[in-house]
Amino acid sequence: MDYFEPKTLNEALSLLQKHGEQTKVIAGGTDVMVDIKYKEEPGGLINIKKIPGLSGIQENGGSLRIGPLTTIREIETSALVRDKLPVLWEASHQFASLQIRNTATIGGNICRASPSGETLTPLLVLEAKAKFAFSDGAKSEPFTSFFHGPGKSSLGAKGLLTEIEIPIPAAGSKGMYLKHAVRGAMDIAMVGVAVLIIPDAAKNNLQDVRIGLGAVAPTPVRAPKTEALLRGKPLTAALLKEAAAMAASESSPISDQRSSAEYRRWIVEALTRRGLEQTWKAATGKEVA
Amino acid sequence: MSVTIKTTINGKPVSASADASTSLLEFLRDTLEMKGTKLCCNTGECGACTVIFNGKPINSCVTLAADANGANIITIEGLAKDDTLHPVQQAFIDTGAVQCGYCTPGYIMSVKALLERTKKPTAEDIEEAVSGNICRCTGYAKIVDAIHLAANRIAGRA
Repeated sequence: MDYFEPKTLNEALSLLQKHGEQTKVIAGGTDVMVDIKYKEEPGGLINIKKIPGLSGIQENGGSLRIGPLTTIREIETSALVRDKLPVLWEASHQFASLQIRNTATIGGNICRASPSGETLTPLLVLEAKAKFAFSDGAKSEPFTSFFHGPGKSSLGAKGLLTEIEIPIPAAGSKGMYLKHAVRGAMDIAMVGVAVLIIPDAAKNNLQDVRIGLGAVAPTPVRAPKTEALLRGKPLTAALLKEAAAMAASESSPISDQRSSAEYRRWIVEALTRRGLEQTWKAATGKEVA
Repeated sequence: MSVTIKTTINGKPVSASADASTSLLEFLRDTLEMKGTKLCCNTGECGACTVIFNGKPINSCVTLAADANGANIITIEGLAKDDTLHPVQQAFIDTGAVQCGYCTPGYIMSVKALLERTKKPTAEDIEEAVSGNICRCTGYAKIVDAIHLAANRIAGRA
């Protein structure tokens, strides 16, 4: 197995251009090391941890900019994230164990492109953007189109994620991440649901609603029909019931060792209902009537 | 391809070569023959391989050994001073928190890191600190007792 430790972004990009098809990029290693031990050993590893400037959390121009090498624990313990992006904080807090959070990076969680990736549905509802580079130039793309399938993203074999740009949601918005798993810690989500609502100024209607569904489709997805159904309306009990059922119908889960597809649809319905109800109450001070 | 790893383990400089795909756990156990850190799930789920890496508890089984270059690592072998056990080790013995013992080194490293972060851990702090460590004998109540005892002894409360 070949091994590279590029010291600059350009060096990493030319290595990826040349060897990207046969090598794997490694950062924290919590997924890649398991692949090496239990699946096929790649032709080589490109360890990007020595590249400066790819780590850290900064507020800039109404957005938080997070470097891909930032660990999940750094995100979880960032006062800035907890204050401005509570939905991402919640997902980071529920992410595996402390040992894993100390090592795993947000870039790794994104580039793994797993449908159940804990930080991905929050990034979808926050309308965050991926910034990434190839040897011949840089690109930017919303996460809503970035994921193509399990393990597949717009990075392909030769791209490198360089920054995650997350717009800070409007004042008065409320977000929530709900995870369904058997064990509190360490378990991969059977279903993950992120909800972000923005009430209108009078707190009577849902000005905007964003719902992200994890582990119930080949990629993490938004629930556009459900969002359209809710937009511009007050959250009544009848609307909440209809919206939760619609979110379940917008998911396309598979059956696997963690749960059946049917069970996953029920959980999408329950978590969507819970997420909408609780964010509505937190944002407007009103019960769902 | 082989890489040379220069690191500090339990305060001593170490230099050795290993294949690039080697995990830190394999480097400790197989290259350096330090068998205190345990191999169990090898997927980062059970915590038996926990070591303290630059002050933070991590799973050595899913950490690339090459990343240890320049790092400061503490393993279970680095806790006792001559014949005197570390207060966390002694507390595990005194409360009977050791059954088969296989998970114990990992637990002790997680608890040592916890008690370096906070002198008076809450129930929530303890749960967070050891939620990545599994005891298959399921002796969790006594492990929690040991953590309280160690915290009290370190803080001079017991």
